[in-house]
Amino acid sequence: MMLGCGVFHTRYASAMGLRPRPAERLRLGAFAAAVLAFPFVADPYWLDLANQVAIATVGAVGLNILVGYTGQISLGQGAFMAVGAYGSALLTLKAGLPWGASIPLACLAAAAAGTFFGLPSLRLKGLYLAVATLAAQEIAEWTVTHWTALTGGTEAVVAPAPRLFGRRLNDPFAFYWLGAAAAAGTALFAANLFRSRAGRAFVAIRDQDVAAGVMGVNVFRSKLAAFATSSFFVGLAGALVAYYRNIVTWERFTLETSVIYLAMVIVGGLGTIRGSFFGAALITLLPALVANAGRALQDAAPGLAARLPYAQQAVFGLVIILFLVFEPKGLSKLWCNAKDYFHVWPFAYRRGEDRAT
Amino acid sequence: MIDGDDAVSSRKDAVSSRKTGAAPRTRRTLKTAANAVLAAWAAAACGNGSGGAGDADGVVKVGAVFDLTGPTADVGTDYANGMTAYVEWANARGGIEGRQIDLISQDYAYRVDRAEQLYRQFVGEGVVAFMGWGTGDTEALQTRVAEDQIPFSSASLSHRLGDPTQAPYNFLVATSYSDQFRIALDWIARDWAARSSSAGVADGPKVALLHNASPFGLSPARQGGADYARERGIDLSLHEMARAAVDYTAEFSRIRQSGAQYVVIQNTSGPAAVALRDARNMGMEQTFVCLNWCANALLVRLAGEAAEGVLGTIPFAPLSVDVPGTRVVREHLEATGRSAEGRTNAFTQGWWTLAVFAEAMRNVLASGEALTGPAVKEALESFREFDMGGATVPLTFTPDNHRGAKGLRIFRVEDGTWTPFTEFLQAPPWTPEAPDP
Repeated sequence: MMLGCGVFHTRYASAMGLRPRPAERLRLGAFAAAVLAFPFVADPYWLDLANQVAIATVGAVGLNILVGYTGQISLGQGAFMAVGAYGSALLTLKAGLPWGASIPLACLAAAAAGTFFGLPSLRLKGLYLAVATLAAQEIAEWTVTHWTALTGGTEAVVAPAPRLFGRRLNDPFAFYWLGAAAAAGTALFAANLFRSRAGRAFVAIRDQDVAAGVMGVNVFRSKLAAFATSSFFVGLAGALVAYYRNIVTWERFTLETSVIYLAMVIVGGLGTIRGSFFGAALITLLPALVANAGRALQDAAPGLAARLPYAQQAVFGLVIILFLVFEPKGLSKLWCNAKDYFHVWPFAYRRGEDRAT
Repeated sequence: MIDGDDAVSSRKDAVSSRKTGAAPRTRRTLKTAANAVLAAWAAAACGNGSGGAGDADGVVKVGAVFDLTGPTADVGTDYANGMTAYVEWANARGGIEGRQIDLISQDYAYRVDRAEQLYRQFVGEGVVAFMGWGTGDTEALQTRVAEDQIPFSSASLSHRLGDPTQAPYNFLVATSYSDQFRIALDWIARDWAARSSSAGVADGPKVALLHNASPFGLSPARQGGADYARERGIDLSLHEMARAAVDYTAEFSRIRQSGAQYVVIQNTSGPAAVALRDARNMGMEQTFVCLNWCANALLVRLAGEAAEGVLGTIPFAPLSVDVPGTRVVREHLEATGRSAEGRTNAFTQGWWTLAVFAEAMRNVLASGEALTGPAVKEALESFREFDMGGATVPLTFTPDNHRGAKGLRIFRVEDGTWTPFTEFLQAPPWTPEAPDP
């Protein structure tokens, strides 16, 4: 563990805290203040984007638990989100449960589905496991579109609007608080998970599963626990989508969704909570920012208008590639670089390149 | 060995020199990245700045999402071009009651979440009406649209979206998929009766619906088509077209086993053309009928010979058909130095869809009312037999019916051109039976 210069801990508890350094607490406080102030200054469009980022963050942190921390590749993100979304919507529609009760139940259902489809991870690793989870994705899509009696098939399921104290929660302003709380709760849980025995077992499996087994980690149980924990939060993201958008259609939970979430955790930085936030924000906001920049350009150079949509797609791809080329460890590492740079600013001294992040 | 060591050490040198060089480069990269983000952010702020009511004097803002790069871009591009061409045409003639139309549009690549983002953004900028595209995103937006009171045109012609009790602000300018399918089935039943009486067969016709795996694909059968087929003694079977498939021979083997004499395709031009080519290669003898989004010039271009003789239910006439409603489009294209050649009927459909909404807004402004969503809705609902110059059947909206057009003409591909094959046919009614199994 790296200790900050001039920071002296007198108790183990403070040294092992989540945020042992004052600067970290200060940054977290500033971030929290910005999050709290944001809805009062933003218009509905930006609030809507912020809500999408919040939902994506929950899903990305969930996926990162599995892919980044435990090293198990999953292409089944869309499937587990679908379980959460359809689960919560159908529990309120068909079983008449209040929305607040349906969300945890749907998350548990997603966790169960994740555990089941995680079973092959006992024997399969790497690309083979990716293909096994791809099967989960295809099975889920097929089930949702063909089990007409339950899911309405390819027709949309309209989830009732969630209400709290008589106020509807699915307008951008009200939902913001729900989304922010969910993202904060997920991040807090995940950050603490990896300070616990179970979480460290996940990381040990990622680094060397045989060694982890020799050291006394029950590899199979831990892998399944990772699948369950990850899917629980991924299901939460799905349930949030269902209640925010009021409507659940299978088109939201395709293989493309799985790939986009993988892009989020990879671009953000595998195995960091912070990276999930960055990745979710970048992948969600980038198309919107590129589109807005395109519109601004369109007015300046009308001749370009016809080609802009293609250029926008290309820019989106290019930005992701460039980020990865310049910093393969993701946005999270870029953030560390920036921090390191300012740490001793304006002096030229830099810390070692290989500092653990 | 020594050489090997040398190679290793020199590689090490290279690595370490790259490391020392990394510091300024990382810094530069950071700076460039920061600049880029700031620029995009600033642009975004500009793009989003002037939010306000659409009723302020000046431009009339209309929002739209187009699919220019997604899976339905094959037909989405011409639909978008038709709408922008109408805006040019109308604005050159003084716009709507002297106010220019500002069509705020973006490509959304058929992504539901992108459509939601753009809808929210455009509504924030004060649009008074919205032109949608796909079934998935139109359904996802339908409750939001009703809350925001934004009259919404969808290119998705799902029958359900024309029911004001479910989607009070959605309007279908073209014939719904269900109506199109029933017109096709009605024609098939009559064609079969003529054919079978001469052959002495008593059984009803067998029809296979080859459909896209989505709400769009199932809409013709689910919303009345299956019930109507039962009523008419038509044996209907459904066959799903896997998404992004490059080969439909398996589907055609099943269709052959089902003994169907007619195949109706509900998909966009690309997959439909692949299917027609496969059918021809397999020597399928069936009569093919394309519904709306695959009955266009693009299909003929992609399927070539295999498209010859294919029938199509086409709500809006292609530009090759000479009626006043297409002449105005053609003349505009020629006057602006473009050719009508190769444009699909989606172009006509885009043009007239926006034209209908513009007409409603004109009525609102002409009556001196404020241009608001509810006012435009009311104006649309007072359309009675609105004539679109023969581009399609006259349009009638009422407060309890938002399916404006109930009829269309069946076209047939002859020598590579869609040629009118029947007169305007009206969609036959049906009695809903038990819900789908």
